[in-house]
Amino acid sequence: MKLGLYDKIFKPREYVLPNGKKAYKKASRAPIYLILILAMSALSVKITGFDMKILVSRIGQFFVILGEMFPPKTSVMPVVWTPLFDTIKMSLLGSVVGALLSVPFAMLASTNVCPSKVVVSIVRVMFSLIRTLPTIVIALVATLVFGLGTLAGTVAIAVFSFGYIGKLTYEEIETVDMGAFEAMQAMGATRSQAFVSAIIPQVLPFYLSNCLFNFEGNVRYAAVLGYVGAGGIGLILNEKISWREYPSVGMILIALFVTVFIIETVSRTLRKKLV
Amino acid sequence: MIKFENVGKVYPNGFEGLKHVDLTIEQGEFVAIIGLSGAGKSTLIRTINRMHDVTSGKLTVDDVDVMSLSGKQLRRFRRKIGMIFQSFNLITRTTVIKNVLTAFVPDMPWYRSAFGIYTKEEKIKALECLDKVGILDKAFVRADQLSGGQQQRVALARTLAQSPQIILADEPVAALDPVTANQVMGDFKRINEDMNISILINIHHIDLALKYATRVVGIREGEIVFDGPASGATQEVLDRIYNGKVDRDGNIQEEG
Amino acid sequence: MNQRIQAAYEKRPKDWVYNLITALVVVGLLVWSGSAVETSGSTQDGGQIALNVLSGIFHPDLEFLFDFSTKGVPYLMLETICIAFLGTIVGAIISVPLAFISASNLTPKPIAFAGRIIIMMARTIPAFVYGLMFIRVTGPGAFAGLLTMGVCSIGMISKMYIEAIEDLDTKVVESLDAAGCNTWQKIRYGILPQLMPNFASTAIYRFDINLRDATILGMVGAGGFGAPLIFAMNSYRWNEAGALLAGLIVLILIIEYISTRIRVKLTRG
Repeated sequence: MKLGLYDKIFKPREYVLPNGKKAYKKASRAPIYLILILAMSALSVKITGFDMKILVSRIGQFFVILGEMFPPKTSVMPVVWTPLFDTIKMSLLGSVVGALLSVPFAMLASTNVCPSKVVVSIVRVMFSLIRTLPTIVIALVATLVFGLGTLAGTVAIAVFSFGYIGKLTYEEIETVDMGAFEAMQAMGATRSQAFVSAIIPQVLPFYLSNCLFNFEGNVRYAAVLGYVGAGGIGLILNEKISWREYPSVGMILIALFVTVFIIETVSRTLRKKLV
Repeated sequence: MIKFENVGKVYPNGFEGLKHVDLTIEQGEFVAIIGLSGAGKSTLIRTINRMHDVTSGKLTVDDVDVMSLSGKQLRRFRRKIGMIFQSFNLITRTTVIKNVLTAFVPDMPWYRSAFGIYTKEEKIKALECLDKVGILDKAFVRADQLSGGQQQRVALARTLAQSPQIILADEPVAALDPVTANQVMGDFKRINEDMNISILINIHHIDLALKYATRVVGIREGEIVFDGPASGATQEVLDRIYNGKVDRDGNIQEEG
Repeated sequence: MNQRIQAAYEKRPKDWVYNLITALVVVGLLVWSGSAVETSGSTQDGGQIALNVLSGIFHPDLEFLFDFSTKGVPYLMLETICIAFLGTIVGAIISVPLAFISASNLTPKPIAFAGRIIIMMARTIPAFVYGLMFIRVTGPGAFAGLLTMGVCSIGMISKMYIEAIEDLDTKVVESLDAAGCNTWQKIRYGILPQLMPNFASTAIYRFDINLRDATILGMVGAGGFGAPLIFAMNSYRWNEAGALLAGLIVLILIIEYISTRIRVKLTRG
């Protein structure tokens, strides 16, 4: 039995059986985790000013806006269609561009494809740095560089997808069964031929499935991007909110809900067929 | 002709995989290599197509020094040596025929290999190879829907499609049940006799080795301790190879 | 040529029509989506701005970065962690009943379906809309932020909880039944031990995501480092933005490392 520092402080409990044999039970770690979580909660409550009383007494205010959204104003739909489709187009193009660009880098980040450890680590660090950048920050920078409009949103989504798909893809490539790759090499194929014939067929279904999943999420994300002027439905949503036209906001949200629902249903069906 | 002359292999961690191996195998022989796990059977077989490097001595295949090859020459050299693996090493997510067709990939121009475009002749040849191992009817089924024995036959068909002179088989029946193992060994035997392809096979099942192979090589701790016809593998010889643990039917002997 | 082989060749699946249609649909969608790319044109030279951004990020405002008062980066990060932490807890708590209602192996189909619709609706509303709604409840600040974070987490957390519940191994319950346990004992010893590691793992994962998404809260003034970051960027103070981003990157990498380790431990025991 291996004893860590913790077990040396809190000694394992010893049980002696009637026949003289001994069994040990390590001291549980649960109290430590509990204390950590409680301490963290207490600190968080203090810093954020969380107050149950306010929440209970004023939660009604939350539903005031929600209530004002109904009945939704259907007459606003004509001005919603274009930004709604813009949002879908932004997400689609951004997802595809990001996902395609990520493939060669994902290959460089897989230890079983790229022989150089240095390259692998550099590309991986790049992927995790990109993933830490908040999408909204990328979108904001993109609006400054490319100007207001859907191009900025598309770029932001592409950058996000690049990091997200890239990471999933290299993890997928690394867990692939290398047997077929070995067989290809034994038959006299080059590394790239072996990659195309033996690894891509294994990775492709998961890659496409991840791309679809990423696209689903991006449609929702794209709705937020409009807030910083990166085009799409967020722009008009933000506008209606600041004018306090809540029935219109309700209508926009319903349109968004239906769109996301359709896209998710289609994408889920496709993903089930793939994997 | 495969010729080992005083071949040795030391792994980077210092482990000696092969020691002073001298062995000559003529075209068309059916050789079974037997020995305990870790004795060097796999190492021996994998040096022939240079999936592993030898570190001393000389290994020639048809008078070509294997260690002198590299890059394109090595790949060209590997084209005439087929290899069969214990775990089949198929692309399980695609169809049987696409697995067999990968045998043509090394000779294809890049644009065809990149998009997986095969000609009609290639497809017909792949089907013929599947027919030779008796699974023509499974050609358009996904590989992972076949049984283990059928999958190993797909691997055999893939190897046949590259028209090899030599087939190296690394524990090809270890993952199969006894009946299927016998069938696959029968396939090897038929291919060996009909097409005069040399076959080197690593095998744990002594009964199968003695039944199908014409020549048996016993290996222990990286050294060849027996080399002769299957009929010459007496109990005494097996004792030497397996440190006295196995009889001719492959049964483990009781200690004491 | 052999007759049988010829026959087999003729029987090959003709999937090129299917492939062609798929390719056409994909290309069509891409062309369609390309039509939306428009820009109002940048007021300044875009390249110059990009360079400014990069130079700002690589030359963060060190004074700001190491200012340990309540206006400095470390405190903003701490506040963000607290928002994400409590937000995750709030979201996880709300998700438990929702998940049990929506799990198709426990509740009748219509109820489960209704539950899923509620979850989907909760997920569709963008974070800044929630933010504005909660600011009416609590006033601007971290409190509103954590509530927003909580509701935004419900979608993903409850979805993963549902999966965990639907994957429950009922054989354990059966064996407890055979041993004569009552309902409460069956839940306590048969179901909870299976769900707890999974639930905890999901919550930790979501905490990780919430930390990354916390920037959005800043847009509506719901606390954390988001507001200072967006102000800094809108007024082209790139050194300040660089300091905030540097702090954020370090924080996220550390948290990601820790959370991955805990989650591996939770799943492997």
